[in-house]
Amino acid sequence: MGDLHSLRKTFLDEIAAVTDLAGLQQIKSMYTGKKGLLTEKLKALSAISPEERRDYGKLVNEIKDFIELTVKEKELAFRTIEKEARLQTEKIDITLPGKPFLCGRKHPMNQILSEIKDIFVSMGFAIEDGPEVELDYYNFEALNLPKDHPARDMQDTFYVSDDVVLRTHTSPVQVRVMEKKKPPLKIIAPGKVYRCDSDVSHTAMFHQVEGLMVDKGISFSDLKGVLELFIHSFFGKDTPVRFRPSYFPFTEPSAEVDIGCIFCSGNGCRICKTTGWIEVMGCGMVNPRVFEMSGYQPDEYTGFAFGMGIERMTMLKYSIDDIRLFYENDLRFLKQF
Amino acid sequence: MRVSLEWIKDFVGITAPAEEVAHRLTMAGLEIEGMETVDGDIVMEVNVTPNRPDCLNILGIAREVAAAFGLQLKIPQHCIDGPLEKGDIRVEIDAPDLCGRYTGRLIKGVTVGESPEWMKKRLEKCGIRAINNVVDVTNYVLLEFGHPLHAFDADRISDRIIRVAKAGNGSSIKTLDGIDRKLDEDTLLIWDGRGPVAIAGIMGGEGSSVDLPARNIFLESAYFEPSSIRRSSRILGLKSESSYRFERGTDREFLEAALNRAAMLIQETAGGMIHEIVDVYPGKHVPAEVEVSCQKVNSILGTDIEKEEMLRILEMIGIKTIDRGDSFTAMPPAFRGDIKEPVDIIEEIARCYGYGKIPVRIPKTSLPDGILNRKERNLDRIKETVRKSGFTEVINYSFMNPGDLDLLSIPEDDRRRRCISLKNPLKQEDSLMRTTLIPSLINNFLYNLARGTREVSLYELSRVFIDEGDRLPKEELRLSGIFFRENAPSVWQEQIPPFFVVKGTLQALFEEMKAGEYCLAPSDEAFLHKGKSADILCEGQKTGFIGEISPNIIERLNLKIKKPEIVIFELSLDMLLTLVKEVPVYAQIPKYPPVERDVALVVDVHMTSGEILELLRGYGSPVIESIQLFDYYKGKNMPADKKSLGFRIVYRSKDRTLTDNEVESIHGSLVEYILNKTAGTLRQ
Repeated sequence: MGDLHSLRKTFLDEIAAVTDLAGLQQIKSMYTGKKGLLTEKLKALSAISPEERRDYGKLVNEIKDFIELTVKEKELAFRTIEKEARLQTEKIDITLPGKPFLCGRKHPMNQILSEIKDIFVSMGFAIEDGPEVELDYYNFEALNLPKDHPARDMQDTFYVSDDVVLRTHTSPVQVRVMEKKKPPLKIIAPGKVYRCDSDVSHTAMFHQVEGLMVDKGISFSDLKGVLELFIHSFFGKDTPVRFRPSYFPFTEPSAEVDIGCIFCSGNGCRICKTTGWIEVMGCGMVNPRVFEMSGYQPDEYTGFAFGMGIERMTMLKYSIDDIRLFYENDLRFLKQF
Repeated sequence: MRVSLEWIKDFVGITAPAEEVAHRLTMAGLEIEGMETVDGDIVMEVNVTPNRPDCLNILGIAREVAAAFGLQLKIPQHCIDGPLEKGDIRVEIDAPDLCGRYTGRLIKGVTVGESPEWMKKRLEKCGIRAINNVVDVTNYVLLEFGHPLHAFDADRISDRIIRVAKAGNGSSIKTLDGIDRKLDEDTLLIWDGRGPVAIAGIMGGEGSSVDLPARNIFLESAYFEPSSIRRSSRILGLKSESSYRFERGTDREFLEAALNRAAMLIQETAGGMIHEIVDVYPGKHVPAEVEVSCQKVNSILGTDIEKEEMLRILEMIGIKTIDRGDSFTAMPPAFRGDIKEPVDIIEEIARCYGYGKIPVRIPKTSLPDGILNRKERNLDRIKETVRKSGFTEVINYSFMNPGDLDLLSIPEDDRRRRCISLKNPLKQEDSLMRTTLIPSLINNFLYNLARGTREVSLYELSRVFIDEGDRLPKEELRLSGIFFRENAPSVWQEQIPPFFVVKGTLQALFEEMKAGEYCLAPSDEAFLHKGKSADILCEGQKTGFIGEISPNIIERLNLKIKKPEIVIFELSLDMLLTLVKEVPVYAQIPKYPPVERDVALVVDVHMTSGEILELLRGYGSPVIESIQLFDYYKGKNMPADKKSLGFRIVYRSKDRTLTDNEVESIHGSLVEYILNKTAGTLRQ
């Protein structure tokens, strides 16, 4: 049986020297193939005496199993190395750019408008709109601004004809909605408005959001509550807010809403003209005359209205210092937001 | 208005620092917009709202300062003790509805010259240039008491009569500024025996002005009806410090004090003898009485202010009250002509009480109807889809240049020619309201191109305005876009003709909105490339267009780019929104496997893929699930008048697995059908 032991030893030496799958295949057939060394040994079994044959045969089979298993293991190892090598050659440059998937951007003012709408819609306000080319009646008269009222000077008006104007504010939507719907009301009306002056800080067209809430028992306290909540959602919950008396013909009492200057934290800077406060919106209790003209009972219902400029809100939020940028539509500007 | 703090101190003993004065005035409704130091004095810029003409002067501001600090207001002595000589100038008011009171004094023997330094300084601080002592005094009193005065050269008043009457027909006057002005018949004038000498409350006439040789002057202090002054001022296009105050309302009781104050100051600075007052007062002031319920005050404000506090506040700003238990009667002084209604009193209480002290409350209200804002949501989705396909949003002015429609060769009878035009545009290029968004987008494109941007895809969603002859124009929503991409160097090459890039956006849009099928038909829009354009039809109706800008227009725009393939589109959203399917209905996911078969047809080059697809769909087998174009070929190995189109047909049954034989047989007859219909052949 010594020959078998030396065969096994030779096999082990040979397989250790093999470097690739082809060599392995060669060894495999050299030992276990049809004319392989071990196959020969099995064929020669009959020539061995019966008393030795059992042990000899058993050993031959053991070696055969051993060789097959070893070859299999070796084969697996070679295949793994080969796969590894293939993956290496398939390696890509992961720093190459991805497929350009060019999403366009929303205009910065519309981003801010969406934010404003979201806040009010979450408070239960509905969104309304009205015409931009408007009757003088809705733009002025129904808002307690009769012809020859000096407050008309506050707004330089574009005229289409004697009784048709480009709306100078979104407030006419208030009247149109009240004529159409019964109280209670909670609406905002965003939109374009027009005034015929144009300089460094004014454009002939700009955007406003109007708001109106009407119900029984609505007071100035509620106005403060809703607008403070809005300002805290929009500018941050620690933003100081103050209400300051002002005048609008369609509200009384009227107020301007100021926030603590967000650029200097109220210490005084160029933007807040050293006052520490920045004006952000106008508001007030709906003037009973406006209710009367819209067909609401001023004894039964009260309400408040407010209005803000979207350009201004956007400029404050994004630190934009020139209103004209909004209408130049330079992609290098638009893509920043 | 510019206000000197030192001047205010003539009327109220205020010692608080200027910043505190500014703060309290601001919080009482007189916003201080700025402060500057001039010669050791503080000059404040006060924003006086149109409802408060009583604050357009030093005394009025001083009154507010006194109220804000709880101080006493000091009004200087302004009585002129008699007996005085009577003047020889008579006053007649022909239009008592427009002139409620007219007073005047003759001052004889004045020496017109320079004003004293102190007066010039105060005028200059408030932004008024010194002229001569008589004119300066009228300006000084205007600033101090807020009442406009006018000084006439008394020797130039013909027939010694001042008459207040309307212009009537054909009047004209040369005003102080040297301009000859034709007058509207309703304009109120001051006349002498010969003709008009001043436009009442607005500007004096050149012929009666006080110049150097004047020795005798007649000083006017009158009350003119605000709406009349405003109207005349607007028609004349003429504004002055006087008209500004008259049109907001002046105090017809206090005007006598202003007259006396001015007469005394003239005497002091220019000498002369003051004569007896002439006072014609047909429209006596009737004090307003306003009934106010205390409960109403608190319910409007959301406060618990005691009645005593309310009365104290009103007293402080000169409003007298009578306590009537649960309510009170308020009697505003003559200078507060703006107070007429209970709500005016409520506002006065609120601003003096302090808006800051009004509690903050979140209202308890009913919920809205729950079908909120659907249109808004749909518009947001439309915009989002367009953005996702690479378009960036722009916002343009709603104006249009009349030349824009010509540039686009819009025909005369086209709807887009029915424009709204402005009577007072800022410039001619902005004189029309847009009827299409395309010109603005072309301008945006040119603007960006000129700044070196080589990839411009922009969209705008906005209203256009079409005049249909009604009182107001029709406002319609449009979605428009422009697309241009220069072949930029890129690692990954993807060559899709621009038209189809934009068409892809529209496809995505219709799919996202579930707006159903649309089809494209050749367009006859003159500004589009004849061969690369289409009208977008929804339910057979034109809803918009898409196409390359016509080479004619590119030439006119003088574009210097290699391949000016610029694609534009415009869609009517009002139409599209009606097609949006709000709620999708679930369809069962197929249980049985599909079988795919391809067919490659060679057809005439002019036959469109859409036509063939339409024919294939028209075949109408219940087991055809979908038909899709997957290959398009024209060129080598293909006759010049032919092209090849490859379609993939998916067969599937809802209730069983289709056998190969079945599919073979259906597909075979489909192929036969389509070859027949298209006169085509199978591609080898």
